[in-house]
Amino acid sequence: SAAARRPWRLFGAMCLLRLPRITQPLEKEEEEVAALMEQIELEKSHYSDHEMRRLEEEEQLKRKMESSYDEDEARGKTVIMARDLEEKWEQKFLQFKAAPRITDADKSNDRTSLNRKLDSNLMLLVKQKIGNQELWLLPQVEWQPGETLRSTAERAMATFLGDHIQAKVLGNAPYGIYKYKFPRAIRTENNMGAKVFFFKAFLQSSDLSQAELKADYLWVTKKELGDYLKSEYLKKVNRFLLD
Amino acid sequence: PCRAQPKKKKKVDVRKEQAQKERMKKKLKKLEKAAPELIPIEDFITPLKYSESNRVRSLPPLAPEEAERRVLLLKKWCLFKQKQDEAEKKAIKALVESQQEALKELRLESEELFQAAIRRDEGLFPFEREGPSYTPPLPGYDPPEGKCTDITKVYTQ
Repeated sequence: SAAARRPWRLFGAMCLLRLPRITQPLEKEEEEVAALMEQIELEKSHYSDHEMRRLEEEEQLKRKMESSYDEDEARGKTVIMARDLEEKWEQKFLQFKAAPRITDADKSNDRTSLNRKLDSNLMLLVKQKIGNQELWLLPQVEWQPGETLRSTAERAMATFLGDHIQAKVLGNAPYGIYKYKFPRAIRTENNMGAKVFFFKAFLQSSDLSQAELKADYLWVTKKELGDYLKSEYLKKVNRFLLD
Repeated sequence: PCRAQPKKKKKVDVRKEQAQKERMKKKLKKLEKAAPELIPIEDFITPLKYSESNRVRSLPPLAPEEAERRVLLLKKWCLFKQKQDEAEKKAIKALVESQQEALKELRLESEELFQAAIRRDEGLFPFEREGPSYTPPLPGYDPPEGKCTDITKVYTQ
């Protein structure tokens, strides 16, 4: 029931987040306390079966060196010592090479790649034309009567990334709002400005090779947002982003 | 004379059988009334072989400087955690405030959009997600094969 046309135009914007894939590095205090806890655990513990076996074998070796040992004693023993087992396990561990935490995309600072900064959230920014300016924004489209704001935001996502995106939208309610008035030149009675409602979604599919990207896009962390967004817009966006 | 005796036996037998059955039923009822046996939690019972004295670790006693360092470190940790917790709470508060402001503005715009926004999202929960690991997954990694035999003991009450 929109009898009187409101002077504000409505936009729905989607903040698409790629969640972190690896753990963040520990702070200095965290590392110190983790080391302390391990030490305390070691002090309070008893010997395990493997350690008992190792101690017994060490004593046997010592007895062998010092005095002539009984042939009878040595005959029934196994060939593999605990020490050899430990060496074997160590060798096997050294042979395994894990994937590096700092990827190639990190080194080249390729901001269009999703493989960068695997320990923090990455957000999608697209270059859009507002009025006669090209700006970096969170993807947004204008609301059309007959749809909810959440579907507007989903449509925004589909416009820029194609239909095959799997994202989990976090609820029906908007997370933030950015209100701005149009410059005096185009401001009219019925068209004072715009309200952009932000929605949040988590990216589920990890590869976007199928996505047809229609415009310039970037995946940036919260700290890097300041490089691209205008200050007022940035202030409103930062409020609903947890780092 | 032959007829009378079998008849008596039958009656006596039937009565005896009935008395036996009642006794069995009473015993069953008594057993059922007793409280069910508690299932032992295997994690809380230390096996006896681990409390032998030769298993105790022999380490040098703690130096007073080391004890002092530990106490000071734990105090620093307390402060660190407090700051971390406060920062988290502040961030969540800012998030909630931002959402409330957005909903207020939306209400000013259109009531029906507002009602659509505050409706519960049924598809959101249950929400499942795999947590982060220390290193990213290695492409083309073939994990070594192995068999897992489950030897947990199952207790019935």
